[in-house]
Amino acid sequence: MPNAAIKSTVYCLNHTPELGLQYGTTPCLERRDKPDSPFLANLPGFIQPYEDAVRYAPNLTYIGAMTVEQLEEHPLPWHSNLASAPIRFGKYGEIMPEDEFLGLLDICDVFDLVWLETSFAESVRGKLNAHPVLDAEVLKRLKGGRDIAAIRDEIAGKAALPLYFAGEVVGCCRRAHEVDETLSAHVILENLASKAGGVLALLHLLKKAGMEPGEVDFLVECSEEAVGDMNQRGGGNLAKSIAEIAGCVNASGLDVRAFCAAPVNALITGASLVASGARRNVIVLAGGALPKLFMNSRDHVKKEHPALENCLGSFAVLLTPDDGTAPVIRLDALGKHSVGAGASPQAVTTALVWDPLRKAGLNFADVDKYAAELQIPEITLPAGAGDVPEANAKMIAALAVVKGQLERAAIGEFVSRHGLVGFAHTQGHIPSGVPFLGHAADAIASGDMKRAMIIGKGSLFLARMTGLSDGASFLVEASSGEPVGSLTRDEVKTILLDALAELAHTLRAD
Amino acid sequence: MGKLTGKKLILLGERDGVPSPAMEACFAGSGAEVVFSATQCFV
Repeated sequence: MPNAAIKSTVYCLNHTPELGLQYGTTPCLERRDKPDSPFLANLPGFIQPYEDAVRYAPNLTYIGAMTVEQLEEHPLPWHSNLASAPIRFGKYGEIMPEDEFLGLLDICDVFDLVWLETSFAESVRGKLNAHPVLDAEVLKRLKGGRDIAAIRDEIAGKAALPLYFAGEVVGCCRRAHEVDETLSAHVILENLASKAGGVLALLHLLKKAGMEPGEVDFLVECSEEAVGDMNQRGGGNLAKSIAEIAGCVNASGLDVRAFCAAPVNALITGASLVASGARRNVIVLAGGALPKLFMNSRDHVKKEHPALENCLGSFAVLLTPDDGTAPVIRLDALGKHSVGAGASPQAVTTALVWDPLRKAGLNFADVDKYAAELQIPEITLPAGAGDVPEANAKMIAALAVVKGQLERAAIGEFVSRHGLVGFAHTQGHIPSGVPFLGHAADAIASGDMKRAMIIGKGSLFLARMTGLSDGASFLVEASSGEPVGSLTRDEVKTILLDALAELAHTLRAD
Repeated sequence: MGKLTGKKLILLGERDGVPSPAMEACFAGSGAEVVFSATQCFV
């Protein structure tokens, strides 16, 4: 079966604590219900500033400025043992500050919904002019700005949401319809934030891959936002709207939704489109989830722990036909959590790990690293959710014991050897296995790793349409060296034998 | 008659831990009534 090559990967963060303070679900609901609560009053004092976010080891690992091995050796707690020097740009992407991200929101808005104050817009334009992946065509979309009085009128009288920087109102996001709640300022802001993250990741990917925007054939977007209006709330195709901003004039796209399992499902979709020859290339991407900023901050503040959920995450992966050199997504050994698989941890792990291993004829130890849920443990542990990557690795090890492939006493060693530390923000779909794809592809390409499994899990039950969860998985490994479209040795042999037989037949007839 | 016969159960599961359908399966036949069962996700 043909596979798809992982040609390039990008991972970006947008440090957006002020958007989080205002519009993250947890602080936003608290402000509505208990505006004078001590939690709200104290939260700003626990926020990690940008200067620290660009020295925070998990962030640096996410953007490729540190390896996973370096993160494992980095002293804990990571939030107070910052890297010696700030790094904004890593080999996979960047950590963008909030003022520039507000500029990017304006760039991504094609309906005059984001208004930035004139002097702030000018200041942001100056900074974005120096940005390595935002060219003149993209920057032309940044509007000139509005008078602060007009912005305050929109906020006071027309349900616009204020946008802050350094504690000051520097703009607003306006509603797109007077009565349609799916086009309210809040929904528009969430959708634009996700779109902007996707655009940033796409622009980085084009530069990294040395690709012209016009060469992109197709995009598959896999965030968790529903874009539409009141008659089609999840109408979709955020993918195409992202492609438009990046100038990908020959591309179209579609959106894949499956909660946090969407990125793995989207990568399988994209890889299938490429491997079948239906699309020349596919970029799978997603921006972040604004509502999840400071999602667990109530517990963080209660425990006087830094509120680290301050970054929107994004990623982009370029898939091309197997060229015999780049690492590939194997399409002959996919995992899926089927309807009847069962909900117990053992049943889920069997469906997502054991079944694909069996299809591929592999043992548990044949996979160097299992990447399943890569949330930063410093975020989840104080909130009572445990160390999620470690818990998943333990479940895989336990199943290996059940299947007779591991001694019970060796579970700890298996977890440290085949599991991963978490380095992704609690952005739902973002940490779902996919952040390791870049590191894995590099390690496989350099020969330091043979194989990794990427596992995504989605909480479908949150939508109240089913009590089920979901999951999908795939193996990444080196290409077999036989590009798509080329012939295998056996196929060449068969053709030669056929030709010789035909020749012999002709000679006999003569 | 089991220890849980006639009891009412509220089950709160977690996706990456033990989800509530798995708990429901464990309590099936225990004689207890599941009055609420939900799984949550905090990541």
